[in-house]
Formats: sequence, structure tokens, C-alpha cells
Amino acid sequence: MTSLQRTIETQVLAEGEWLSVTQVCRASQIDVDVVIELAELGLVCPRGDAPQDWQVSARELARLRTAARLIRDLGVNVSGAALAVELLEARHELETRLRVLERCVRASARGE
Amino acid sequence: MEYRDYYQTLGVKRTATADEIKKVYRRLARKYHPDVSKEPNAEAKFKEVQEAYEVLRDPEKRAAYDQLGNEMKSGQEFRPPPDWASGFEFRGRPSGRADPEADEQFSDFFSSLFGRAGGFAHPGEGRARGGRDHHARVDIDLEEAFHGGVRTLELRRPTHQSDGSVELGTHAVKVTIPAGLTDGQQLRLAGQGEPGQGNGRAGDLYLEVHIRPHDLYHLEGRDVTVTLPLAPWEAALGASVTVPTLGGPVQMRIPEKSRAGQKLRLRGRGLPGDPPGDEYLQLSIALPPADSPKARAFYEQMSRELPFNPRAHLGS
Repeated sequence: MTSLQRTIETQVLAEGEWLSVTQVCRASQIDVDVVIELAELGLVCPRGDAPQDWQVSARELARLRTAARLIRDLGVNVSGAALAVELLEARHELETRLRVLERCVRASARGE
Repeated sequence: MEYRDYYQTLGVKRTATADEIKKVYRRLARKYHPDVSKEPNAEAKFKEVQEAYEVLRDPEKRAAYDQLGNEMKSGQEFRPPPDWASGFEFRGRPSGRADPEADEQFSDFFSSLFGRAGGFAHPGEGRARGGRDHHARVDIDLEEAFHGGVRTLELRRPTHQSDGSVELGTHAVKVTIPAGLTDGQQLRLAGQGEPGQGNGRAGDLYLEVHIRPHDLYHLEGRDVTVTLPLAPWEAALGASVTVPTLGGPVQMRIPEKSRAGQKLRLRGRGLPGDPPGDEYLQLSIALPPADSPKARAFYEQMSRELPFNPRAHLGS
């Protein structure tokens, strides 16, 4: 049963935004301890001195959310999750570059 | 609604032990998890597997489910029998994993049998509670990413009624997509998440923006790459060619002695930003077809008069 409730005009906030640790924990559904550990492992590089003052970029939030899903759904431990996120990103990049090169080859063949 | 055969989903017999079920679940979760899986429909299958495991891992839920009998097939029309689950008590998730989004994603079949299993606050549990953040995904075209635009999103969200029950409603939100977003970038809409209870602040809505693959432009960050086929003489002698860019066609100079695979750069012609991305032209050489006597004659002349061994480095 769906009902269209209301339409709201809303302005999007700047995308290069920085989020506090509290916001990040809520958004990714992991404890601050896990965020600290993932920062120590280098998966995210928050700015600020003490963890309670840390700010995480919106882009790095995506990495945290992926790590959180792997920990929660696949039972991966924290260091494994950090490694997995980096490998997944590397795989994505390689696939992207491969597609470009394959397209290049196909385009060359089109002359025949 | 439709019956779901959870044993079939996991591929186990009705007599499977808890251990066997757990083993199978771990293997299937790994196989279909949307973050790692390359299987088609991974996300849908993962949800099915999760739902099946949610029921079969819990002795009480499994016992209740088994009571429905083993004669129905997945997809069959189904109604829960009256006095369903009397005597059974369904707890919330054992590990206290509060994941309201996951709850929303269980099928009608599951909800009709087990209700909303945990995750939502019960009435009276704290006066003011901040609303949870919500997450949604929006897919846009590359052109939209370049120009920016306005999008209306329909979000399915649970809304809490005053009596504590939960209804899934559709909520329309107009969002301004700024120009120059990159694939996977997140936008935050303050206060568009779950409403707070009492004086609690509403949660935020995080939008993960994904840019659909484009036929012509290949996107990496803010840079785009276009494969540019050239005739052999254009590459060898140089040429002035028209190339497409996101902002419209542009005239560009191909230097002489260009080679296949080389990349030429048009600065600032990618997605806008600070700094803006670039457009790369990946050169490829297209051979004119040897499909006429004149064309063949040209090729034969080239083979006679141009000394050229592309396999010299292979030792032939």
C-alpha cells in the first residue's frame, strides 16, 4: 500500500562535505572502535587530532559503509574488511580500464 | 501473497541440521553479497537467502514455519492460517543487530508470519529519539552529471504510526543534483531520513549517486575517455578532426606520426569541478577496407614501397 505523501523541494548540501564521527557511525552502523581501527589500517584518513574530533569525508563514508556490510553480512573481521574494500576498488578500476581498451580494439576492427 | 520455500532457497532438506544450514548460508552469502558478487540479480538473491536464513536459523521461527506443512511450493498463493503462531513468541534479532533497512526488505510473506522482527523502537522506549539515517541510491546519466539538474525521487520508507505500528509509505523528494558529481559520490539531505520521536531530530538521507555507463564516454573520476578512430593517413600525417565532448563538438589537431593506443588530452573538457576533469582521446587506427580493386591496388603498392615489419621485435 503506497501513498504519495508530499513533495519537498530540497537543496543538496555541498558534496565535498566532512562528517563527524558520530554522524559517520550512525550512517555506517558501526561502533566508533571499529572506525578507529579502520583508520589505523588506513582505509580512511580522517582529519583532526583525537578520534572524538575526527572528520571523515563523504567519499570515505562509502568505504566505511562497504566495510560495515562485509563485517556484518559475511562475518569478515575488521582487518579483512579493510583489505577487501581496497581490493574491490582495485578490481573495479581494472575492469574499467579493461573496458576502455577493449572498446579501443573493437573500434580499430570496425574499419574492416 | 506468495509462499516461499525457504529450504529450497538454501538448497537444503527439511531435515537439515542447524549446522548444515549455517554452512550453506555462509557459502551463499559469500556468493551473492552485492558488494562482491558478479552474479546476475545478486542483490535480489542475497535478500532471499538472508530471509530464508533468518527463519531457519531460529528454532522457534523454524518450528512455526514447518507447521505450515511441506506441500506448498514457492510462488503458490498463500494465507496464514488463523491462530497462526499461537504459543510462539518471536524475539527480535538475537545479536541486537538493529537494521531497520533490512527489516523493510523482507517479503510480505515473512512479515505476515513474523511481523517486524525487532529493529524499531517500541512505544514508550525513550521520549525523544533521533530518527535513523536512511540511504538510497540514485542513478543518473553522464549528461546529467555534467549539466547538473533536478531529480524527483520516490523513496519507500517505513513510517511510525502513533500506535506503534509501522506502515510503508512512498515519499517524494525533489533533489538538486549539482553539476560535476563523480560516480559513487554521496550527497546528504539533512532531515530527510527517519523522523525523530518526541523532540528527537530527524535522521538524514544519504544518496549514493551512480552514473550509468555511457556508450561513447568512459568515465574515471572526473575524466572522460573517448576512443577516436583515425584513418592511417590522419595518424601518419596529422589532421584536424572534430571530436565530441560533453559540452559539444570541438576541433582538435592530431599530431603527425601519431600511433594507435596513444592518448591525447583536452584539458578541462571532462566533468566540471575544482579542478575540472579532462577528456582523453584514445587513438585507434581503422583500416580502410580492401573491398575494391583500387583499394587493393593501394595496399599492394604500400606493401611494395613501404618497408615495414610490425613483428620485428618478435624475431621474425
